[in-house]
Amino acid sequence: MEATAPLPQWRANLATIAALMARAKNELLRVPGAAIPGVLAPTIFFLGINGVFGALTQLRGFDTGTYESFVVPVSMLQGAGFTGAAAGVNLARDMEQGWVDRLLVSPAPRWVLLAGTVLAASARALIPATFVLAIALLLGASWPGVAGLLIAYLMTAAMAATAACWGSALALRFKSQSAAPLMQAGMMAVIFTTTAYAPLALLQPWMRSVAEVNPVTQVMDAARQGFLGAVTWAETWPAILVMLALIAALGAWALREMRRTAA
Amino acid sequence: MNSLRVNARVIRALGMRSIRQTFRRPQLMAPILVFPTLLLAVQTGGAGGAVDLPGFPPVQGFLQFMLAGAMMQSLMLAGNSGGIAFAVDIEMGFTDRLFAAPVPRYTIVLGRLAGVAALGFLSAVWFFAIGLAFGAEVHSGVAGVLIAVFLVTATATAVGGIGAAIALRTGSASVVQGLFPLVLVVLFLSSAFFPVDLMVQPAKAIAEYNPFSFIVEGVRTPIIAEVDATDLLEALLAIAGIVVLGLVLSARALRHRLRTG
Amino acid sequence: MPAIAVERLERAFGDVLAVRGVDLEVDEGEIYGFLGPNGAGKTTTVRMLTTLLLPTAGRATVAGHDVVAEARAVRASIGVALQEAALDPLMTGRELIRLQATLQGLPTAEGRRRADDLLERVDLIAAADRRVGGYSGGMKRRLDLAAALVHEPRVLFLDEPTTGLDPVSRKTIWEEVRALNDEGTTVFLTTQYLEEADQLADNVAIIDQGRIVAEGTPDALKAEIGNPHVQLQLADGSVDAAERVLAEIGKLLPPSDGRTVLVEVENGAADIPRVVRALDDAGVGVEALELVRPTLDDVFVATTGHHLEKKQVPTTSSAPANA
Repeated sequence: MEATAPLPQWRANLATIAALMARAKNELLRVPGAAIPGVLAPTIFFLGINGVFGALTQLRGFDTGTYESFVVPVSMLQGAGFTGAAAGVNLARDMEQGWVDRLLVSPAPRWVLLAGTVLAASARALIPATFVLAIALLLGASWPGVAGLLIAYLMTAAMAATAACWGSALALRFKSQSAAPLMQAGMMAVIFTTTAYAPLALLQPWMRSVAEVNPVTQVMDAARQGFLGAVTWAETWPAILVMLALIAALGAWALREMRRTAA
Repeated sequence: MNSLRVNARVIRALGMRSIRQTFRRPQLMAPILVFPTLLLAVQTGGAGGAVDLPGFPPVQGFLQFMLAGAMMQSLMLAGNSGGIAFAVDIEMGFTDRLFAAPVPRYTIVLGRLAGVAALGFLSAVWFFAIGLAFGAEVHSGVAGVLIAVFLVTATATAVGGIGAAIALRTGSASVVQGLFPLVLVVLFLSSAFFPVDLMVQPAKAIAEYNPFSFIVEGVRTPIIAEVDATDLLEALLAIAGIVVLGLVLSARALRHRLRTG
Repeated sequence: MPAIAVERLERAFGDVLAVRGVDLEVDEGEIYGFLGPNGAGKTTTVRMLTTLLLPTAGRATVAGHDVVAEARAVRASIGVALQEAALDPLMTGRELIRLQATLQGLPTAEGRRRADDLLERVDLIAAADRRVGGYSGGMKRRLDLAAALVHEPRVLFLDEPTTGLDPVSRKTIWEEVRALNDEGTTVFLTTQYLEEADQLADNVAIIDQGRIVAEGTPDALKAEIGNPHVQLQLADGSVDAAERVLAEIGKLLPPSDGRTVLVEVENGAADIPRVVRALDDAGVGVEALELVRPTLDDVFVATTGHHLEKKQVPTTSSAPANA
């Protein structure tokens, strides 16, 4: 066999990321019914929260017309959290079954292997997000405008990346699917201890204190702004900063854990 | 009488096994306790202002109101979890070992249900402990606690029967697991998390007739008010209905499985 | 330069020393067998050499690169088929090899071409577009082997490549390993099967409890143990007469029972005609005759005091069913 010239490293890295993302889609497309919980659960939560807590808009201080508009970004971000955590669970399963050894024994850089998992989760999260958005608009949520929509999707993709880094770090640390509840609970805690159910002023005092320091509150508010009114840069840039910081920190942790698998 | 004693021993042994299985795998315990606790915390903290809505029942606080819903969520997930474990046993061939043993078939199902009942009991105790730790009071005192614990345990067993029936019919853990969103749907379309009168249509209309709403009210009333005989009776009837449904479905599924192998 | 050079390699897990100072050298183009029972340290050693595990002491180079300081260069030079046949059941065979090609940095078109060639080579071309989850154990091992070869590695690590396979599949893997070696690939093979090491390896190291207890060619190791012997089952129980005759040919070995005699023969099979003629001349009838050579298990027993492979002992009772 005659060998052709090897690819430049940057092209090899991109090809590896693309190949790992292509593999990740098999979970959705090749396992019968696997897509349903991931896609449906955020929508069920949306319909449920809306149907159950919709009367909260009657409280003084609730400055939005419809609860649907208020809650739809919660469900989009929740779907992103689920999807990212699921990526972590899949990685843990892959470790248990020895698949990850195949990746680790290849010359692909570690960050490339992680990027494949994380970017796949980001892309996948847009599916349940779109589903929820469609249902919400049908039920009367306000159209967020193009800018609002793009920001909501951006926050969704970034949240999924954050969750995937978190889930991957735990998977690489514990090398077992028994860490799955921690992956899911962590994301649930961080998304719902924000202005998820009500504006800041209407939260219970302890929840308000937590939401004020929880950086994901910025992300929630940024994703929500188009649905409630105008989109502003002042409302958006803190969220972008938060997402970048979380992805960097959790990604660094995941990378460290990946390197430590040999220790 | 001798055979009754033997059967009881079998049920106890299988029940202990199913409890041990759950406690030895954190990913099975977490849905039953951790997630409902987390949801209780965030819903209480996030939507707690609801107690100020006109028409909200008189309560000490939103936590006191929500305890019943948290217990419901926990017991339903315990039932689902029991169904998944049963389906795994079927997939692994463990139930074949049981069917080949000289024990009545019903002891096999009851053994599984004993485990779910124990989890239901545990979840009731857990949420009472959480509630009391964070300042919620049980209006009817000890009697209220006992009634609520009994109802939660009985409902867990009833729901476990449905889970077992599905496991027997499908023999597939992933099918039973895929029903988890259904659990959420049933809960949201009940009075688990909010008073029915203050819910938004069409959820409100469904919740009014959802049998689980009657059970929730049966558990909630002694916590937020005096024990009410009507609420208690309605809850017991709803549980009985689910038990009967579970028994019928389980019996048919068992017959089908034994016929087709 | 050796393909693999290992110097006092050690790996501890807490207080447990799984690999205790292993030294070995593998020449380019060699098949090196690493033989030992379960838990001996074979897989731990392989994982260190393939950069999946860091040594806690000592050093090793593979294809000229240090496994710790130049781990990426090592990974680019080796192919690995691990014990767990790390395959994705949802992928097809073709997809898996193409992914492996991408991981190794091959251009897409080249990767596809090599994937097709390798699938043909390991006789999986017909099943190439079926999901791996539906493959038999033998097919999975062949696919794993093909994936390990996609980038034409200089050194191939095979960790128990035929464990759990039926004899036919095992033979197929052996043939493939020999063919690869003929093409110049160095093969580092771990196994718990004596026959596998005996048949395939140019050199064998026997490892037990983390230490190499013997090393050499299979024949040299066996020769150190002793000469082969002939086992004779006699027709009419005339053991005394047979022993008198055979004592002049070679050393008699215990046990002798009423019908069996064992005699050591220095020249192996070449001495058999002499044995037969001598017994025939003495009028001793022979029912069965077998030349028994020392095995690597005998080498293992001599160096460790216990057997590598459990001998099958017939039993009259069945094991109790699981509770």
